Amino acid sequence: MPREDILRVVGLTKYFPVKKQSFFGGKLTLKAVDNVSITLKQGETLGIVGESGCGKSTLAKTIARLITTTNGKIYYKNNDITHASFKQLQPIRPSIQYVFQDPYESLNPRHTIQNILEEPFLIHTKLKFIERKEKVEDLLHKVGLPTDCLSKYPHEFSGGQRQRIGIARAIALEPDVLICDEPVSALDVSVQSQIINLLMDLQDELGLGIIFIAHDLAVVKHISDRIAVMYLGRIVETSTTEELFKQPQHPYTQLLMNAIPNPDPTKRRTKKTIKGELPSPINPPLGCNFQSRCKFETKQCETSDPNLSNRMSTSTHQSACHHTDLSTKEWESPWEF
Amino acid sequence: MTDTILSVNDLCVSFDTESTALNVLDHGSFDLMKGKTLGLVGESGCGKSVTSMSIMRLLPQPAGKITGGVITYDNKVDILKLEGSLLRNIRGNRIAMIFQEPMTALNPVQTIGKQLLEIYKLHQQELSKQQSINACLELLKRVGIPDPLVLLNEYPHQLSGGMRQRIVIAMALACKPDILIADEPTTALDVTIQAQILELMKSLQDEMGMGILFITHDLGVIAEMCDDIVVMYAGRVVEKTSVINLFNNPKHPYSKGLLNSIPTINTVKRERLQTIAGQVPSLAEMPNGCRFQNRCPHVEASCAKQTYQLSKISEQHLVNCHKWELIEHA
Repeated sequence: MPREDILRVVGLTKYFPVKKQSFFGGKLTLKAVDNVSITLKQGETLGIVGESGCGKSTLAKTIARLITTTNGKIYYKNNDITHASFKQLQPIRPSIQYVFQDPYESLNPRHTIQNILEEPFLIHTKLKFIERKEKVEDLLHKVGLPTDCLSKYPHEFSGGQRQRIGIARAIALEPDVLICDEPVSALDVSVQSQIINLLMDLQDELGLGIIFIAHDLAVVKHISDRIAVMYLGRIVETSTTEELFKQPQHPYTQLLMNAIPNPDPTKRRTKKTIKGELPSPINPPLGCNFQSRCKFETKQCETSDPNLSNRMSTSTHQSACHHTDLSTKEWESPWEF
Repeated sequence: MTDTILSVNDLCVSFDTESTALNVLDHGSFDLMKGKTLGLVGESGCGKSVTSMSIMRLLPQPAGKITGGVITYDNKVDILKLEGSLLRNIRGNRIAMIFQEPMTALNPVQTIGKQLLEIYKLHQQELSKQQSINACLELLKRVGIPDPLVLLNEYPHQLSGGMRQRIVIAMALACKPDILIADEPTTALDVTIQAQILELMKSLQDEMGMGILFITHDLGVIAEMCDDIVVMYAGRVVEKTSVINLFNNPKHPYSKGLLNSIPTINTVKRERLQTIAGQVPSLAEMPNGCRFQNRCPHVEASCAKQTYQLSKISEQHLVNCHKWELIEHA
C-alpha cells in the first residue's frame, strides 16, 4: 500500500537580505534556499546532505516554520501551512518537531529535565500533574535514560545523554515528522551509533517520518530511505539511497562520495580530489551553480541553469546536470558493495 | 631504532582542581618515526590533546602539571627539561603544531602577511625582509593558495575555513620542522575540503620527510593517513600497533567496539549498529585497575586488580588487556 505523503514542500525559497556594498549599489540577497521541492512519506527517512553553507539548516528551519519563507509552499497533510498564523499553527506544532544539532545549547541550562520534558505537555495538553509525570517518565524510558535524573540539570549530563533528552522532548507529543538537524555530528563516535540506533528504534515504534540532515554520507546512507543532495541552496540530485550510491549522477555527488575517507587502510584513495570551494551564495554564478568546480563544465553550463529532472531512465532518480550521461559513464565507485 | 624522531615515555600529566589533582594522562608511551605518521585516536577527554600540549610544553599553567616521564626529541634532547631560548629553538622551529580550529589559531587583527613574517623574524633572523617575503610567497604557493601576494594583506576573517587551515599549515611548515603535530586538523572542515587538506599534508610529508603526530577521532581519516596507531581511552594508551593490524585485527575490547560502531558505506542499511554500552567514567571517579571495565563485555573480577601494563602480542602490537588471549579464543 503506498504510504501517504505527510509533508510536501513545493518550490520553497528563502532569501536573506544582505547589507548593500555601497549606498548606490543594488539590493543584495543571499539565496540560502532556492526552489527546493521535497516530499516525506509516513515512516520514511529522507536524508539531506551537503557542505556547510549549502542551506540544509535553513531548509529545515523553514519547513518547521521557525523562520518565514520567501516563496513556495509547505503542505502538512495537504493543509497549506506556509503562511499559517501563530494561532493556526498551534495545533500543528506538536506534529512537526525538531532535534537540534548542539545538545549543549538547545537545552535551557536553568531548567531541570523534569521542567524541560514537561513543557510540551503544559503548552499543548491539559494533563494533570500526575499524568504529566507519568508521561515524562515514560519518555525517559523510551530514550533509555534512568528516571532518577528528573531533578538534574542539563550540565550534569554528557553530550550523548543530552541529545537523548533533546530527542525525548521532540517525541513528547507524538509527532508525525521529526526534523533532525545534524543530530550526531557533535557527538563522539561510540555515542553516535547509540543515537542512530535510538532514532531508528523510535521510528519503527512511532512511525515517524524523519528528515535527517547531516554532512556525513556514511551516516545518512545508513539511516535514510531516500537522499537529497544540496549544493548552494538547491537540490542537485535526489534518489533512493541504493540507487544514489550505485550510480550517482551529479558531478557534485560523485565528488562528495570520493571525498569520504574510507575506514579501510588497504584501500587508500589514489584519485585526485577536485579543487575549489563553495562559492558565495550572495552572487551565485549564472547558469549552473556547480560550474566553478565541475570537470564536465562546458559553454552550456555557463548560460543555462540545469533543472532537477529525470536525466536517465529511472523514475525516482533526478539530477540537475546537463552532462549526466557523461558523468555517469565516467563514474567509478570507490567502494565494492 | 635509529630513526625515532620523538619518543614519549611514561608521560603522566595531572590537572589541579579545587579539591583534588586529576590524573589526566597515565603513563603514556609511544615513538614517532622520521617520515611516518602516527595516529592518536580516542574520544573527547581521553587525553589526546593533553599529550600534544605536553610535547609542545603548552599545558595551561599552573593547573597542568607533568608529574612524570620523559619526552625525547631526536634521541638526545629531553623536551621537558628545556627552558628559555633552548625551548624556543625547538618549539615552533623543529616541532610545529596545527590546531583544530583555524579561526582561533590565527590572530584576527593582524594580516596574514604579518603573522607569517613573524615566524621568520623569530626563527630565521639571518633572512632579510625581502627574502622572508619571498619565502612566504613560496610557502603559500606550496600549500595551494592561488594568489599569495594579495593574501598577505588580508585578514583571517576574509578567508574560508579551508583557506585558513592552509595558512595554519603554511605557518607550521615555515621552518621545515622534523615533527608536525596535527591536532584534529580537519574536524572543523567539510568533507571535500578535508580531502584536499589531507592530500596536501601527505604530499608535504613526502617532500619534507617530517614525522606527523596525527590526532583525530575519525577512524576514516586514520585509515587514510596513518602508518601506526595509538588508541587512547580515559587517559591511557590501550592499544599500539600498525594501522593495518588495528583495522584487521584489533585486540582491545575498546578498539573492537569503536571499529564496529561506525557506520560505513558498506554496512547494511538500517541494521542496528553495534554500540559500546555506557560512558567513559569521569576522571574524578576512575575505577581501580582497567579503566574500560564498566563498559567491557568481557569484564571479570580480576580486571579491577590489574596494574596498568601493555601486553606484547607481537613486536609491533601492544595491548592493555590482560585477557586478550582468552577473548581471542572465546
